[in-house]
Amino acid sequence: MSFRGPGPRPGGSPVLWLYLHFPHLLLDHVRRSQDATGALAIVDGAGQGVVQACPTARDLGVTPGMRLKTALGLAPDLNIMRADAKQEAWLLEDQARWLYHYAAHITLAPPDGLWAEVSSLQKLYGGLPAIWQTVEQALTERQLTAWVAIGHTPLAARLLAHTGKGECTADKGHILTALGNLPLQAAGFDKKSCTRLQRLGLNTLGEVFALPAPELARRLSPELLAIIQKIQGTRADPKAPWRPPHTFRQRADFIQEVEHAQGLLFSLQRILAELEEDLCWRQQDTDTLLLVLQHRHEEPTRLRIRTTGPEHRAGVFLKLIQLKLDQQPLRAPVTGLVLAVKRFTGREAPGGQDLLGETQDLNEAWHTLISRLQARLGEQALKQLAPMDDHRPEHAWSASEVRKPGKRQDSASALLPHRPLWLLKGPRPLEQTPVAWHSGPERISGGWWDGQRVHRDYYIARLPGGELAWVFRDVNDGWFIHGWFG
Amino acid sequence: MSELLSSLLQDARIWQGHKHRKTTQPAESTGYQVLDNQLGGLGWPRGALSECLLDTCGIGELHLVLPLMQRISAAGKTIFWLNPPHTPYAPALAREGVDLDHLVMINTRDQGDFLWTMENCLRSPVTGLVLAWPGKLASRDVRRLQLASEAGGNVCVLFRSCRFSDQNSPAALRLELAPGEHQELKVNIIKRRGSWPGQRCSIALGHRANIAVQDSSRVVQGPWPEARG
Repeated sequence: MSFRGPGPRPGGSPVLWLYLHFPHLLLDHVRRSQDATGALAIVDGAGQGVVQACPTARDLGVTPGMRLKTALGLAPDLNIMRADAKQEAWLLEDQARWLYHYAAHITLAPPDGLWAEVSSLQKLYGGLPAIWQTVEQALTERQLTAWVAIGHTPLAARLLAHTGKGECTADKGHILTALGNLPLQAAGFDKKSCTRLQRLGLNTLGEVFALPAPELARRLSPELLAIIQKIQGTRADPKAPWRPPHTFRQRADFIQEVEHAQGLLFSLQRILAELEEDLCWRQQDTDTLLLVLQHRHEEPTRLRIRTTGPEHRAGVFLKLIQLKLDQQPLRAPVTGLVLAVKRFTGREAPGGQDLLGETQDLNEAWHTLISRLQARLGEQALKQLAPMDDHRPEHAWSASEVRKPGKRQDSASALLPHRPLWLLKGPRPLEQTPVAWHSGPERISGGWWDGQRVHRDYYIARLPGGELAWVFRDVNDGWFIHGWFG
Repeated sequence: MSELLSSLLQDARIWQGHKHRKTTQPAESTGYQVLDNQLGGLGWPRGALSECLLDTCGIGELHLVLPLMQRISAAGKTIFWLNPPHTPYAPALAREGVDLDHLVMINTRDQGDFLWTMENCLRSPVTGLVLAWPGKLASRDVRRLQLASEAGGNVCVLFRSCRFSDQNSPAALRLELAPGEHQELKVNIIKRRGSWPGQRCSIALGHRANIAVQDSSRVVQGPWPEARG
């Protein structure tokens, strides 16, 4: 024999593959995005035939494979969603992402299946039944339907999963018997070979297995032999492991358009919970979420939700999104939404005190408060002030976005000139005659370098109302108030 | 019942005309001995609103809270300025030793946002001081802010116009501010916890414009009257 299957590895247990077959992934995806009642069917890309039908639709007599016209005749209120290959590929990748939390070696089997290598996990989980249970539980949590099976080769696992009668067993003999009982139509051969085998009087896979290999290759085709050997495990069938992307991306599609922001929260909750789980698993945090709302006739709305500090809790994200949506009502009904995270930051180990001597709690409270305020008021509404090196009073300060205070630097504050605590937003004409002059003039001249020339004499004066003002006279002998000694 | 009553009396939350009891309410010293003395040795109440009523900026109203700002920013707590009427001038604050990293200035668009922001700031443990210029406030809103302030235990100073002085208010401390002849700030206590109001004092604040008291009569001969005609 020239080919050897993966077979028993030196010193290890034989390789086992778990296969997840999602019979109606798109349907599950749409149904968990919305509490929609009513019959739902997925139609093929051309919009001709029904591909998947939900239980309500099936009760009405709609079955997969039926023509759309017939289906609509049976169920006039049928909600229809068109299958999209790109979307299905995304969805499958979504499933791979959560499965990756449980298994390291995953391979995608488009359009609707996933392989996971499980023999190496047995020790970790404490046996095959435990792995099986973990996967089933994860599927239930995500409201997904999948048919699971285990096989000693990738193809064996896949064929068994497609029957919907997969068993939790590692016994190769048992698996081969189950495979042998499969009818030829379920073996995934091409139609021509299938017909030829049937004409030879063969009906089950087991009968094909019994044929001598050289004869099979000669009489039928070498490709068919390769498939059979891959099923049996006598020919290598390597599967390249899938690598998870370094981003988070989840979408929800609504069969009934959502008109109020409240209606988005249901699916956002689920997505954010998955995000939290994903972030916990990565041991990372994020500070920016991108929420894209899709509309039927308009450009999608893009919302950027920012937290001021690293965050991973779904509850915090949800509150920020709620605030953002309260501020920005929906422009048009929403047909779908995508939540994406591209920026990740490493999570700091929660310690009692950080370098600045602050407790973690206060640090977190600061970020929570500032994020909340920014989400409602807009990022521009919050400002931090700093002095700048410039002689001109209006340029001697700056306002910048809020950031967490660092360690305090000792500034040479005593060197700063005496200035009022209030600066007017712009100089205001002096309309009253001051009752007293206290100091001045202080000449401030500068700005020839950037075209905003200033040439003024500043005085401190007391106005009739009793207030102390910082007034100046400009080159044209005009008098202005520029600040108050508050 | 009697226990409850006596604790209320102890706390000076019930006002008794014949007795001046020292309140045990938490408070922050104002930094001005004269004013602290008038306030029963305490100062700005914590976990309650304080109101400063004044007609015009530039009479030393910021210097009244400056010692508190210096202390709070040094302690690493955040100071919020809500809707200030002018720009707080960073070089001057830095010169006075206020750590600007702990100062956050917020401008809100409408009254709803203002109240919401106030409440959030007041309830947060990171806040040390909230300075706010609310404009018109319904007494219902003041009560709401008072509750938020109690929950957070921070100092909150509202700067309002003098015309609200005869409107009653749930604020724990109400001060009427007026300028004096010699750059001092005259403080009239309209309301305070635990004692009669009506004390007056004046705080010398000439230093805010670098004017020493003795030379306050000095007049710089500006080229003023001729220039204006």
